[in-house]
Amino acid sequence: MSKVARENLSAAEIREQRMKVLYKFLPVISIMTIIVLWLVAAGSSSGNFPSPADVWERTVRLFTHPVKKKNLFLHILASLNRVGLALLFNWTVGIAFGVMIGWYPKLRAFFSPLFDAFRAIPPLAWIPLITLWNGTGELSKVIIVIFGSLQSIVINVKAGLSTVDKMYLDVGTVFNATPTQRLFKIAIPSSLDAIFAGIRTSTSTAWMVVLAAEMLGAGNAGVGLLISRGMDSMDMPLVLTGMIAIGLVGALLAIITQFAERLICPWTRKTK
Amino acid sequence: MDQKNKVILKLENINQGYIVKDDIKQVVDNVSMEVRDNEFLVVLGPGHCGKTVLMNIIAGIESPVSGSVYLDGEKITGSDKRIGMVFQSLNLMPWRTVMGNVEFGLEISGMEKKERRKIAQKYIDLVGLTGFENSYPSQLSGGMKQRVGIARAYTNSPEILLMDEPFGQLDAQTRYSMQEEVLRIWEKEKRTIIFVTNNIEEAVYLADRIVLLSNCPAKVKQVYDLSKLERPRNVTDPEFLRIRKDISDNTDLAL
Amino acid sequence: MENIENQEYKVRVEHLTKYFGNLHVLDDVSFNIKKGEFLCVVGPTGCGKTTFLNLLTRIYMPTKGQLYIDNEPADPKKHNLAVVFQEPSSMPWLTVEQNLRFGMEIKKLPKNEIDARVENMIKLLGLEEFRDKYPHQLSVSTAQRIIIGRAFAMQPDLLLMDEPYGQMDIKLRFYLEDEVIRLWKETGTTVVFITHNIEEAVYLAERVLILTNKPAKIKEEVMIDLPRPRDVTAPEFIKLRNYITEQIKWW
Repeated sequence: MSKVARENLSAAEIREQRMKVLYKFLPVISIMTIIVLWLVAAGSSSGNFPSPADVWERTVRLFTHPVKKKNLFLHILASLNRVGLALLFNWTVGIAFGVMIGWYPKLRAFFSPLFDAFRAIPPLAWIPLITLWNGTGELSKVIIVIFGSLQSIVINVKAGLSTVDKMYLDVGTVFNATPTQRLFKIAIPSSLDAIFAGIRTSTSTAWMVVLAAEMLGAGNAGVGLLISRGMDSMDMPLVLTGMIAIGLVGALLAIITQFAERLICPWTRKTK
Repeated sequence: MDQKNKVILKLENINQGYIVKDDIKQVVDNVSMEVRDNEFLVVLGPGHCGKTVLMNIIAGIESPVSGSVYLDGEKITGSDKRIGMVFQSLNLMPWRTVMGNVEFGLEISGMEKKERRKIAQKYIDLVGLTGFENSYPSQLSGGMKQRVGIARAYTNSPEILLMDEPFGQLDAQTRYSMQEEVLRIWEKEKRTIIFVTNNIEEAVYLADRIVLLSNCPAKVKQVYDLSKLERPRNVTDPEFLRIRKDISDNTDLAL
Repeated sequence: MENIENQEYKVRVEHLTKYFGNLHVLDDVSFNIKKGEFLCVVGPTGCGKTTFLNLLTRIYMPTKGQLYIDNEPADPKKHNLAVVFQEPSSMPWLTVEQNLRFGMEIKKLPKNEIDARVENMIKLLGLEEFRDKYPHQLSVSTAQRIIIGRAFAMQPDLLLMDEPYGQMDIKLRFYLEDEVIRLWKETGTTVVFITHNIEEAVYLAERVLILTNKPAKIKEEVMIDLPRPRDVTAPEFIKLRNYITEQIKWW
């Protein structure tokens, strides 16, 4: 009797393992479902919605017949370039500002209302003023991206620095740490996870805002340009090529920032 | 033995309280005590009130409403290099390795890297963590983390070491092993230790003297001298159990 | 034949074995628990007591082996298992009384039955003045007493307690241990109490199960037939405590 029962339980464990395999396959199934739905939608919507084959063909044609003399990679690179410049600015100025208003209560009290008002304004609302001051050139696009992704980094850094666990600061007190040491040896390292959360969100928002900036202004390159070009000429396969490129590059950026965090903060890796 | 009688730290009429919703909650009530050079003093008290506050006052993490702390005869306010602390919740910095945590105090004091590494290594070896220098706290067991905390407190060569319920989070068995360990380290590197606990068995096992505090607000109820009780002590020895029961009967029940 | 013999056992554990991948945690553990018995389980630190507990509560499925309650394979839908962990796990948004009611309401017991049991438990624990308080207004020990009260009020088939008094001072622990004995006697619940503290095990248990190091096996069973209330300084008590300590000492 007990033998039968034991087999029953091994079966329970087998079920557990089967579930694990299932969890690995479900994402694959979901991607395949989307492609099938895409095919069905494309087949039934007579031309308004391009099929995967159309998009693939259009993507290949983008390399043989570049738009504005640039193939897909060069367009992506142009967008990434703007994002990179904006993030370079945000990660230096934004982190410094976040540390300041997070760590020093007086500065927080002074700057918080200004900053709260600033972050309530959508970045795209700045476009008229920014173009008025700087024209429709490269600089304006970068500034829009800066305005769009500054707040996520500042907010995260501020949150980290204003909630440093007192127990770490007590250690500093017992060892007679100077105020500078308290900031650089305790407060900032203990906030690194919050700072990285800011880096991750600012990267993804910057990537979204740059496309909006490119679609609105004139320019010679960028994935946003491809999409607006496709829209103007009713070239939907081109629009979809742009969209897919955005999705893939966005996912890649998320993976890279995650990897960087693990590299820089090895203590968050749990090894047994 | 003469040395042992010299008073190194003195608390005089310490009072501490906090304002809680327009009311004053007193947590330390006129506590005075003397701590002698190189002794193992245990501050024993029930519940969660007063003991940690008292340690924080000695360490200079907070200042009392009234009363004074004297170290070697002179009044101290704020933190003092001669006093080190092992914290209740460990307070290890998760972003630093074992070595990084142990050498933290030396780094703060501006010591050269090579020199501080040497000193830190000595204490890492002393607490038995050789080989774990590059591990992060998250990779260590509870007992090992506690050893890091003890090594870190030792590095600055304090005259007095405060240990605030360092074994409160450990299971009963790991606790016994760490108690033996802390006595071994103390025998090797004699310091004055003030050890806080709510565990009567732990107090009787470790202490030269026990200062028994009341329930909230903490007053000194009684001081027990156990220096005549031979070491190593046996927790099931009838004499040991008798002392434990005496103290237990005299302790407030803090439900 | 076998069935007749088994009937006096409330719980039977047979050949319980658990691997996590290649890690062998529990090795062929078999034992029985009588109805209304108070069983303590002790073992060296890191011997797999938590896994053991999680197998009994069916949080983990065993690699091999089975757990029977009243001669049927244990089934959370049919059987009533209650667990008390080291950290009080009351619902912060419920008052003391609502917390006591909580489990029984989930089980959809009739209202008058719940009322009666809750009143009885509040009286047994002397919690009248805390009835309408929220957990965060209570001390840790009181919060834990409510969890323990809630578990007993469920009248579970098996009550598992995982070091519920782990970090409490001796005075408080003796008080709470006496209380748990009182609740157990009053309700006749079958209890498995896991602890690192040998003195606690000898104080509480009718029988102590000693586990070995990983992979955990049952090293020995020790019957504790000392009269209650037990005297922790009595020579027989110390003898048992020392004996069990010898079996698991690693430090």
